[in-house]
Amino acid sequence: MDQETVRTICYLARLQIDEDKAQKIENELETIIEMIGGLQAFNTENIQPLYSPLEKTAFMHEDIEKSDNQKEKFLQNAAASNEDYFLVPRVVE
Amino acid sequence: MSIQFKTIRELREMLDEKAISSEELTNETHKLAEDLKELNCFVTMNKDASIEKAKLIDQADKTDSVLSGIPLAQKDLFCTEGLRTTCSSKILSNFIPPYTATAVMKLENAGSITIGKTNMDEFAMGSSNETSYFGNVHNPWKKGYVPGGSSGGSAAAVAAGIVPAATGTDTGGSIRQPAAHCGITGIKPTYGRVSRWGMIAFASSLDQAGPLARSAEDCAILLNEMSGHDSKDTTSLDIESTDLLNSINQPIKGLKIGIVKEFSLGDLDSEVQNRFEDSKKLYETLGAEFVEISLPNISASVPTYYSIAPAECSSNLSRFDGVRFGYRAENTGDLNDLYIKSRSEGFGDEVKRRILIGTYALSAGYYDAYYKKAQQVRRLIKNDFALAFESIDLIMTPTSPGTAFAFGSKGTQNPIELYLEDLFTISSNLAGLPAISIPHGNVNSMPAGLQLIGNFLREDQILNAAHIFQQNSAFHLDKPSMEEF
Repeated sequence: MDQETVRTICYLARLQIDEDKAQKIENELETIIEMIGGLQAFNTENIQPLYSPLEKTAFMHEDIEKSDNQKEKFLQNAAASNEDYFLVPRVVE
Repeated sequence: MSIQFKTIRELREMLDEKAISSEELTNETHKLAEDLKELNCFVTMNKDASIEKAKLIDQADKTDSVLSGIPLAQKDLFCTEGLRTTCSSKILSNFIPPYTATAVMKLENAGSITIGKTNMDEFAMGSSNETSYFGNVHNPWKKGYVPGGSSGGSAAAVAAGIVPAATGTDTGGSIRQPAAHCGITGIKPTYGRVSRWGMIAFASSLDQAGPLARSAEDCAILLNEMSGHDSKDTTSLDIESTDLLNSINQPIKGLKIGIVKEFSLGDLDSEVQNRFEDSKKLYETLGAEFVEISLPNISASVPTYYSIAPAECSSNLSRFDGVRFGYRAENTGDLNDLYIKSRSEGFGDEVKRRILIGTYALSAGYYDAYYKKAQQVRRLIKNDFALAFESIDLIMTPTSPGTAFAFGSKGTQNPIELYLEDLFTISSNLAGLPAISIPHGNVNSMPAGLQLIGNFLREDQILNAAHIFQQNSAFHLDKPSMEEF
């Protein structure tokens, strides 16, 4: 795994790695990816992926209209909000 | 009268006989937690609210549930309305949930009293409790030694006798391995048995909540309450609940127990092997039969897990962005900069490592080679178990390849060293099977765990086998001296 790949993954994950830790993390990722690479030795021809151990379709529930406005409660945990919205830096000039 | 090291059954009797009131019991529990705070097993205490609830229970003076008035600790991964829930991460260090997780709600509705939230590996990512933002938890059996992880605070609180039981979650062994390292009992139920609603997600197809307690019987009491269908969780099983207490105490004559030949137990520490052989003999004298079984793809468990779990974690943890809840970095530029700085300052190294692995495994060009491949191998592992369970009732393994180790002694140079702690536990998460860990003696003065893996939805069978073992041995009654704390 080269530095460019690590930089791309970091950007995709919206993470920044400290310069002094970059080499260590690069080596660790390399080691883990190599371990996962060992799976290639297993023959999975015609084997369907198992995404959940239950293999069942999500059940449907009735579409009942509910009025349960908890806006105030939810906004309380935000670092910045006004009485109606979460606040973030301006995205449109 | 001391309440330390009491089981739920014993505390129930004390309450019923009015030897102690619920308020006194709750106060005593808080006093014990305070006296033993050096263990660092709690992140947040729930003192005032718990005492208030205890008073109400005393006033009501009726007992319609075995858990009524019993103090419990909750892993700090379950959302608790109005009570800080951190997942032991800086990024959630100020988070006050607006709702309570179903599993905790069910326990509280049964009258139990939440005394506090327990320390854990950050976002449940770890096997030693050393990744917590709030510091290491000490193993009650030896200061400076890990309690295991990720439910290390819960395991330590029970092992130290502060609470009779606690909740935990298990994604790759996070209930069973700390239970083993702390000399207590812990069960990971079948995937779908306990609602995941309100549990902060790590790897959604593997996470499952369960209890840690001083005996299999107490685990059955908690699991009875925690289980059940929840329409708020689409993976919650809609099946009739059975009373697990009725299932324990059944004779085990003729029980067929599988020993996995691929686990090469001969490579383990000789004392670990000796404990395993001793337990095998005990089961044989009780009438169980042992059969060697083959799980041909089991060696793929660790790489399969470390592809799937990080992939699901990278997706689940994308919600932590500093906008709607949790930590927000200061002095940020545009929105993207806010995301990057809040996440980079808010997450610890192990969490970042797993997010990066998962992002890589899911990224364009690598998805088929890593993520899809791992899910295909996962099916092979599940099929192996299904075939094995056609001829056996349960599978027995050590819970962990070794016992608790000193802080900082594993995984600092190579993270895979620590990942191998979960060698015997990971496969039941991949296949969704129930598994329990019970103490079965010491190795080098530290507790060792025995794991029993059951077939799908056969918690009754593994709890019964564990209970019978405990009725015929005294390992689960061993207590740490606590002289160092």
